[in-house]
Amino acid sequence: MQLAASKARPGGPPGTRRGLPFKINRRRLTETLTAYTFLAPYLFVLIVFTLIAVVTALTLSFFYVDFGFTTPIFYGFRNYLNIWYDLTHDGDFAVGLRNCVEYTIGVVTLQTILALFLALLLNQKVRGRGFFRTVFYLPAMTSSVAISLIFYWLYQPQGGINYVLSLLHIQGPAWLENPSTALLAIMLLNIWTTAPTFMLMYLAALQDIPSTLYEAARVDGANSWQMLWKITVPLLRPTTFAVVALGSIGAFQMFDQAFVMEGASGAPLRSTLTAAMVIYDTAFQKSLMGLACAQAFVLFIIIFAVTLLQKRYIDVNIQY
Amino acid sequence: MSTIGGVARVEKAHLPSVAVSMRRRPPLPLSPSRILLYVVLAGYGLFSLAPFLFAFSSSFKTYAQVLSWPPSLLPNPATLDNYRFILSGAQLFPRYILNSIIYAGAVTVLNVLLASMAGYAFGRMEFPGKNFFYLLTLAVLMIPSQLILIPKFLVAYTLHLTDNYGGLIVPAMVTPTSVFLMTQFLKTLPRELEEAALIDGCSRFRAFWQIIFPLVRPAVTVVALLSFQGAWNEFLWPLIVMSHQENYTLTVGLAFFKGNYVTQYNLVLAGAMISIAPLVIIFFIFQRYFIQGLSTSGLAGR
Repeated sequence: MQLAASKARPGGPPGTRRGLPFKINRRRLTETLTAYTFLAPYLFVLIVFTLIAVVTALTLSFFYVDFGFTTPIFYGFRNYLNIWYDLTHDGDFAVGLRNCVEYTIGVVTLQTILALFLALLLNQKVRGRGFFRTVFYLPAMTSSVAISLIFYWLYQPQGGINYVLSLLHIQGPAWLENPSTALLAIMLLNIWTTAPTFMLMYLAALQDIPSTLYEAARVDGANSWQMLWKITVPLLRPTTFAVVALGSIGAFQMFDQAFVMEGASGAPLRSTLTAAMVIYDTAFQKSLMGLACAQAFVLFIIIFAVTLLQKRYIDVNIQY
Repeated sequence: MSTIGGVARVEKAHLPSVAVSMRRRPPLPLSPSRILLYVVLAGYGLFSLAPFLFAFSSSFKTYAQVLSWPPSLLPNPATLDNYRFILSGAQLFPRYILNSIIYAGAVTVLNVLLASMAGYAFGRMEFPGKNFFYLLTLAVLMIPSQLILIPKFLVAYTLHLTDNYGGLIVPAMVTPTSVFLMTQFLKTLPRELEEAALIDGCSRFRAFWQIIFPLVRPAVTVVALLSFQGAWNEFLWPLIVMSHQENYTLTVGLAFFKGNYVTQYNLVLAGAMISIAPLVIIFFIFQRYFIQGLSTSGLAGR
């Protein structure tokens, strides 16, 4: 028995292994119990509101559930067939997903470039770096609702943005009423609000690049432009993956801005309807919880696949 | 990119300690590329600030003036009527503000306390299941919140946590992000700190409270700020979980207020300013911690 105990816990403190397995066990037990007491509130939230929720979401996606909490009816794959029908017949979910893809590609591309550009600027020896960093970050820390209200006003046909454009002799559109500019308007707004967060990640990563690399390159006669493309950008690839992945996860779930500026229906002509807004509508307006869970799961699979692809093609660790 | 940056780096590599202490001393020569750098930085700074400043000034305009073309930069006459209208009891705004303060305040305090406890266990204790739950924490950070939104609501509904403060606070009282930040920080403190006390028979609880907790100030500040910011700005969850108007948070109240006063931009802007102001003040006081926390966690994008 003693042998079994010591075998089961090869990591136990040496010296005590001989003779008194019970004492060790008791101390370990106390330690374990204490640790789980410390963890209890967190594990409660994690298990109840995340793990159980994920399992429930999957289960409910195979049921017909309305919000009256009448007994759920097993539906098999009908919710998913429903989504398939929606996707092939230009339904709301199809439009929402298409808008999300368009929106994500635009936002993530531009905000990543902008974030890297700003980080490179701030990584120079600049007076007042802290000041600029703080000012740049201001849009990122403000509430999406308040920002959306400000831009709802700025984007009006007679608003601030069109006024600035008129100074450049450009006739600005009715940004939020025109189906061809409404989503673009939200994209521009979101690039402005999220780029600074990713700028901070790039800035932290830039400071980790050893200066000896630049030194050696300079000795070899490389110019700044070559050093940017041959040293900085390749070495930042893991960060770029994080920036692109987190950016895509966020962009795919866009809700607040479109909901506040354009209303729940994604006006004009569903041009700002997002997948998240469709899920919200299905669940809380149409009271089709099961279908909404299936939609959320489809959205999750898409986001997950996109992240994996990005991991495969961007996250290449380069060593010099 | 500019040559100056590269040269400065080389100097720093050669003379690490001297370069740091001398950093501010010699005035950097103003080459054309440096002037361009400052122009771009100032330009983007203005680009970041302008919408806030213009909205702030316009929140003191009258209805007629906020609609005038061309728009004027400054209010003339400046009026406090917009704020007076909003803060008068008739609009329920005082109630929204109170709700947001209770929600964000409780979430902040609870995250600091509960996440440092969890971080202590993950970062400084050995127990079976530790790696499993910590990896789970990291995995959960990647789950899109949309996936669990509806079941989370159903769980809250089952636990009678809808349309009350509990529904707002309990699911957010200790987030994986806070736990992650705390764990990473607590790991870095030397083991010897509480080892002697533990050998002398001090309990883990006392070691945590009296030795470790007082040392986690930097991490506490970061977690507190991020929790407050997250709760104060949260929109979708309060929108779903609260049904009576007097239970709305400021963000939800604002969104509905905009629906009722669509073209009265002067009022809408004043409302937006009320929501932005507390965070801007806190942000400028603690900006160093904010930036530090965001750079290390890289998770603020959500």
